[in-house]
Amino acid sequence: MKLGRSLPVVFLGPALIVLIILAAVPTLYAFNISLQNRTLSAPDADYVWFANYIALFGDARFLNALWVSLKWEVLTVSATMIVGIGLAIAMFEAATPRWRNVLTLLFIIPVLLPRVCAAFVWKFSFHPLYGAVTWPVRAITGETPDILASPLGAMLAVAFVDVWQWGPVFAVIILKLMEALPPQPLEAARIDRCKRWEIHVFITLPMLKLPLISLILVKAIESLRSFDLVYVMTRGGPGIATETLDMYAYSQGFIEAGKISYASGMAVVMLVLTVVMFTMIWKRLNR
Amino acid sequence: MKPVTLILRGLLVLAALLVLLPLVWTLLNAFKTNADLLVSTPKLIFAPVWDNMDYVLGRRSVSRALMNSLVVCSYAVLLGAVLGVPAAYVIARIKNRATQEAQFFALSLRFLPPVAVAIPMMVIWLGLDMYDSRPALIITYMTITVSITIWLSVPAFERVPIAIEEAARVDRLGPYAVFFRIALPVAKLQVLSAIAFSFILVWNEFLLAMMLTTSRAKTLPIIASEMSQLGMSVPWGILNAAVVLLSLPPLILLALVGTGLNTAFSKKSSE
Repeated sequence: MKLGRSLPVVFLGPALIVLIILAAVPTLYAFNISLQNRTLSAPDADYVWFANYIALFGDARFLNALWVSLKWEVLTVSATMIVGIGLAIAMFEAATPRWRNVLTLLFIIPVLLPRVCAAFVWKFSFHPLYGAVTWPVRAITGETPDILASPLGAMLAVAFVDVWQWGPVFAVIILKLMEALPPQPLEAARIDRCKRWEIHVFITLPMLKLPLISLILVKAIESLRSFDLVYVMTRGGPGIATETLDMYAYSQGFIEAGKISYASGMAVVMLVLTVVMFTMIWKRLNR
Repeated sequence: MKPVTLILRGLLVLAALLVLLPLVWTLLNAFKTNADLLVSTPKLIFAPVWDNMDYVLGRRSVSRALMNSLVVCSYAVLLGAVLGVPAAYVIARIKNRATQEAQFFALSLRFLPPVAVAIPMMVIWLGLDMYDSRPALIITYMTITVSITIWLSVPAFERVPIAIEEAARVDRLGPYAVFFRIALPVAKLQVLSAIAFSFILVWNEFLLAMMLTTSRAKTLPIIASEMSQLGMSVPWGILNAAVVLLSLPPLILLALVGTGLNTAFSKKSSE
């Protein structure tokens, strides 16, 4: 394939230069700030080297945020995959091509909505006095259940909204993957009188192992961007039950103390954790 | 029909309702008075009013945020397309170590936690005296738009048959003419849906906008989230109206490139 001598450089060069600057400058800057004791109120600062990092690992709230983030990742990724695979199989088995098209379009909608909107839609539905979801409980028992006020309820409710946004679109992607599989193994299994669930458990899903793992990775990356959801629905509450790392960094850096260096240290820890982890997994997958 | 099929269909209907009902409900709520909205038993039948929409559309902060959102997103997406689409073409057409690394690098920007970008960016823009300005937000958003445009346009160009590009070259078209007159028009639909997707991503973006703006450059999601803090009680009717307005652009884009997006998804499967 010949593209001429200048075209690759002219086409690829500017984009790469811009991306490298946009990635490297903030990263180095974040590291630099995290070595100081900068606050939002005072412009000048001294280098305190690794004091912020040492303080972080003695900070119970930081360790809590780390734990909450881990729970959040595991909960949302696994629930999204279960919903995605389940709905995909249901569409594959029981929907006609026309219905598949309708559902495809419908299932793409939630993920395209601004997360702020999805959060508000459900926050109002979960409202103890006026919500539509809590209405049956009100009507039957007369109580006003406040889901977002209990630690477990809040976590599950926010995770539910995340899965509501991502599960359906994953179902669409998995359905398209299943449709693209070669039909012969499935037919052979049918001739051998396999039950339908056996076909999926032993044939289609194992055949889709690699793309499914990539999807898990994609969801794990997107789950890290849950700040808007948590911010609107719970603000990390009740207490610190849903305070993820980005929520805690935000409140340390902006709301409570303005400790921008401390927050930056947290951001660097997050950055190193995620970039190293995801890069290793991704490279391994695509080898 | 087998009972299993029936159960699966029921499941699908349930899922479809679960997706659709909250949206329809929000749309209805946007046209309710507080007396109709804040009731224990949800009301299906009510006299619709335009007050909430009026209030939202009439606020100066909203119109300014709308302008900010439109300007910031358009520029970020435009710059992302101008830089990203040609880069994607090179990555799709030349397969070697360097371009593979470039493609992975574009993807890996998505691994960066937004907070880790927002905090240093804030300090940088404060230092340059550009904090809370549109250009600052546009440049920050280019991290998102350039990388996602590259990432989604590469498969678009890989789908363009090499044979027609070869034929154009035999007809003595230079490499640039081949790109602008052959490859780009052929891949047009998918490239457009990639660009539309990058627009939706920055239109929905929240964390960066919140940390990098305080008054002048606030975008629409920030204003919408602030509406929940007006006074003591949450103005749910107004909030619902804001949610509807904020959700419209992504839905309109989905309708516009619906077919394009559909083919983009089937591409993923054929890889």
